[in-house]
Amino acid sequence: MSHAATMVESDSAADKKGAKPGKYLTFELASEEYGVPVLKVREIMKIMPITAVPQVPPHVKGVINLRGKVITVVDLRLKFGLEAQNPTDQTAIVVVEIAVDGGNVLTGIIVDSVSDVLNIVQDELEETPAFGDHVVTDYLSGMAKVKGKVKILLDLDQALGWDARSRAGE
Amino acid sequence: MDGFDHAQPDSSADDSAELEMLKSDPEIAGMFIGEALDHLGTIEATVLALESSPGDVKLLNDMFRPFHTIKGNAGALGVVSVQETAHKVENLLDLGRSGKHAIGQDEIDVILKAVDVLTTMIGGLKLKLDNQPAPDMTAERKALMAAVEALIQGGPKPGAAAPAPSVAATIVAESMANGPAAAQVLAELASAITVAPAADTAEAAAAAAAGANRAMAANVKMDTVKVDTRKLDNLVDMVGELVIVQAMINEDPGLKGHTDERLTRNLSQLKRITTDLQRNAMAMRMMPVKQTFQKMARLVRDLGRKSGKIVELELSGEDTELDRQVVEDINDPLMHMVRNSVDHGIEDADRRIQSGKPPHGKLSLSAYHHGGSIVISVADDGAGLNTEKIRRKAVTQGLIGESDVLSDSEIHQLVFRPGFSTADKVTEISGRGVGMDVVRRNVEALRGKIEIQSVAGRGTMFMIKLPLTLAILDGLLLSAAGERYVLPTFAVCESLRPKPEQIHAIQGRPHMIQVRNALLPLASLGTLIGRHEEERPAHERIAVVIEDDGRRVALLVDELLGKQEVVIKSLGGTFSRVRGVAGGAILGDGRVGLILDAAGLTSLVCSSSALAA
Repeated sequence: MSHAATMVESDSAADKKGAKPGKYLTFELASEEYGVPVLKVREIMKIMPITAVPQVPPHVKGVINLRGKVITVVDLRLKFGLEAQNPTDQTAIVVVEIAVDGGNVLTGIIVDSVSDVLNIVQDELEETPAFGDHVVTDYLSGMAKVKGKVKILLDLDQALGWDARSRAGE
Repeated sequence: MDGFDHAQPDSSADDSAELEMLKSDPEIAGMFIGEALDHLGTIEATVLALESSPGDVKLLNDMFRPFHTIKGNAGALGVVSVQETAHKVENLLDLGRSGKHAIGQDEIDVILKAVDVLTTMIGGLKLKLDNQPAPDMTAERKALMAAVEALIQGGPKPGAAAPAPSVAATIVAESMANGPAAAQVLAELASAITVAPAADTAEAAAAAAAGANRAMAANVKMDTVKVDTRKLDNLVDMVGELVIVQAMINEDPGLKGHTDERLTRNLSQLKRITTDLQRNAMAMRMMPVKQTFQKMARLVRDLGRKSGKIVELELSGEDTELDRQVVEDINDPLMHMVRNSVDHGIEDADRRIQSGKPPHGKLSLSAYHHGGSIVISVADDGAGLNTEKIRRKAVTQGLIGESDVLSDSEIHQLVFRPGFSTADKVTEISGRGVGMDVVRRNVEALRGKIEIQSVAGRGTMFMIKLPLTLAILDGLLLSAAGERYVLPTFAVCESLRPKPEQIHAIQGRPHMIQVRNALLPLASLGTLIGRHEEERPAHERIAVVIEDDGRRVALLVDELLGKQEVVIKSLGGTFSRVRGVAGGAILGDGRVGLILDAAGLTSLVCSSSALAA
C-alpha cells in the first residue's frame, strides 16, 4: 500500500519536470551525448557565419538568418562551461523552439555533432541524480541509458529561456 | 396618417444630405464604412460574450468604445442617422458601465438589434454610394431608438418591471409619426403598460421589416481584403529569401561561364519577376500616413465648425511610411487626440485674444523618424493641461489621494487613466473620458509609447512613439571591427576621410574631430559598441558624422559599402538591452547585419567623451 503511494508520488513528480518517453534528437558535446525532445527541434543546419552582437555574454554567439527570420545562436559548449572549440565539419546548429513568456522563440544551439534520433522508452529513463550543491541540475530533465550508454536529457526551456528572454549587457 | 406622410419626405431629405457629404470624398467614406462594419463585428462578438458573463464591466467598456468611435466617425462625415443611433446606444452603455443601469437580457437584445440596424444602415450607405437601391431603415431606426430610450427611461432595474405608462405612451406617439412599422407597433403597444414589453414589441416590428432589408444588404461587398499581418510578414520574409537565392543562382560559378541564350533569358526573367514580387510584397505592408492625416483634416474642420472655433491644421511628414497595420491602428487614437485638442485644448477666439494669441487656433500633426522610432505628434497651441483641475478631478475620482505630491508630468499622466475626463459636461464631441485611455491602450498594443508635454497657456503636445520594427529602412552599409552594420541614412550627415590634422587626441586616443568649423566628439564604432578591434590610425579610416536630437558626433569605421534598403527585423528580447543597436537586417548575401541606433550611439559617444574629458 505504502509502496503504491510512493509510486504515485514519484510519477507526479516526473510529470512536473522529468523527461518523458518519446523521440529524442541526440547530439555530442565534448564527447558526451545529450538529447532534446524531437518535437522541440525545428531544423538542423551546418555551422554558418554568425553575426556577432556586442554587449552579450560570451556563449551568445550572435544572430543568423533563418529563412528571413533573425534568430539567436547560443554556443552550448560555452553555455555549459565547457572548453571552446573551433568549428569542424561536424559542427551543427540545431534550431529549437524555446517556450518564453507564453510564446515560442526559435533559438539556434551550436553542438559538436548531431548523432541520431532515438526512441526512448520509460524503462530507459532515469531521474537526474543529485550531483551535490555545486552542480546546477535545472537544465537537465533526466538521464536515459540506451544500450549501456548514458544520454543527458536537456530541459531546453530551462537551459535557454533566460537567454531567449534576455538580459543582454548584464 | 398625416404624421406618416410628413416623415417620409423629411427622412429622405436627410438621407440625400448625408449622401452628398459622403460622395464629396468617396475614399474616406469607403474607409468609414469598412471600419464601422469591422467595429460592429467586434461589438457583436462582445455582446455575445457579455451574454454569457453578465455584468462584466470590461466587456461593457469593450462594447462602448467601438460605438463611440462609430459615432465619432459618423459625426465627422455628417452621417447624422448613424451618429444619432450610435449615440443613443452609447448612452445606454454608459449607464451600464457606471452601474446605473443593469445590462440584462432586454438590453442585450436591443444592443444586438442596434448592431443589425447599424450594419444594414452602413451597408446601405455603400450601396447608395454605388448608386444602387438601398433598404430604407428609417422605421427600424426610429423603433430602435425608441426601444433604447424606453430602456433608459425605465431606470435602474428591477425598476423596469414597474408600470411606466407615460413612457409607453411616448413611444406610441413617436412610432406613429414614423414609418410603416408604426401601425403594427401602435397596435401592439396599445395594450402594453410596462416598459419592457414595449421594447420587445418595437423590436419585433422592426425585425419583420429587417428581414427583407437584410437580403439587400448581403449584396454589399468589400473592395479590400483584410489579411493577418503575420501572413504578410511571412510572405515578405519568404520573398526576401527568394531574392537572395535568386541572386545566389545568378552568381553561381557553375552557371557563370554558360553561353546558353535561353538560360540567360530565363534567368533575367526570373530576376525581373523576383524583384517585382519583392516590391509588391513590400508595398502591401507599407503605406504613408497621408490618408490618415487627411482624414484628420476633415475631422478638424468639422469639429471646428461644430464648436465655433477656427482651427488651422498644419500637416508635416505625410509621406512617412508606416506599416499598414500601424497606419490602421493609429487612426482611432489619432482621432481621439485631435478631438481632444480641438475640444479641450484650443480655446475659443475671445479667450485666445484675451491671452494675447491670434484668434485662430493651430493644430499640428506630424510624422517623422526619430532615433529608431517613428513619431507621430499632435500639438496644439491651446491652453495646455490644467494641472489643478486634473488633480482635483483625480482626487474626486479616487485615482490619487488628497495629499499625494505629484509633479506636473505625473499629473499629466493621469489623463491616460481609464474613465478620466475633466470635461464638465458630456458633449457630442468628447468628454466621456474614453479618449485618452483608448489612445494609450491602442498605442501600447502597437508596442509604442505615448508621451505628453504641456505648458499652461502655451499648448499641449502628444507624441506617439512607434517602434521601427517592420518598417523598411534606407541604410548606409558599412564595416567595422570585422562586421557589417547598417546605419539609418536619415541620421547620417556626411562621411569623410579625415586628415591627421583634423583629429585631436586626448591621452593618445582620438577623441575629437574638426569638421569644417565644428569640433565633434569622435569614437571608433567597434570599440564604442563593445567589440574588440585593432587600433588603426584615424586617417586611414572613414569618419561618419551622425546627428541625433541636434547633437552631432563622428564615428570611425573601416569602410563604406554602399547604400541599401533593408527590412528591419527585431532581434528579439535577447538583445533588447544592447546599446547602439536597433535591430537586424538580412543583407544581400543572406547574412544578418545589425542596424545601428543613431540616438543610442550619439549618447554613447557623448557619455564616453564626457568621461574622458
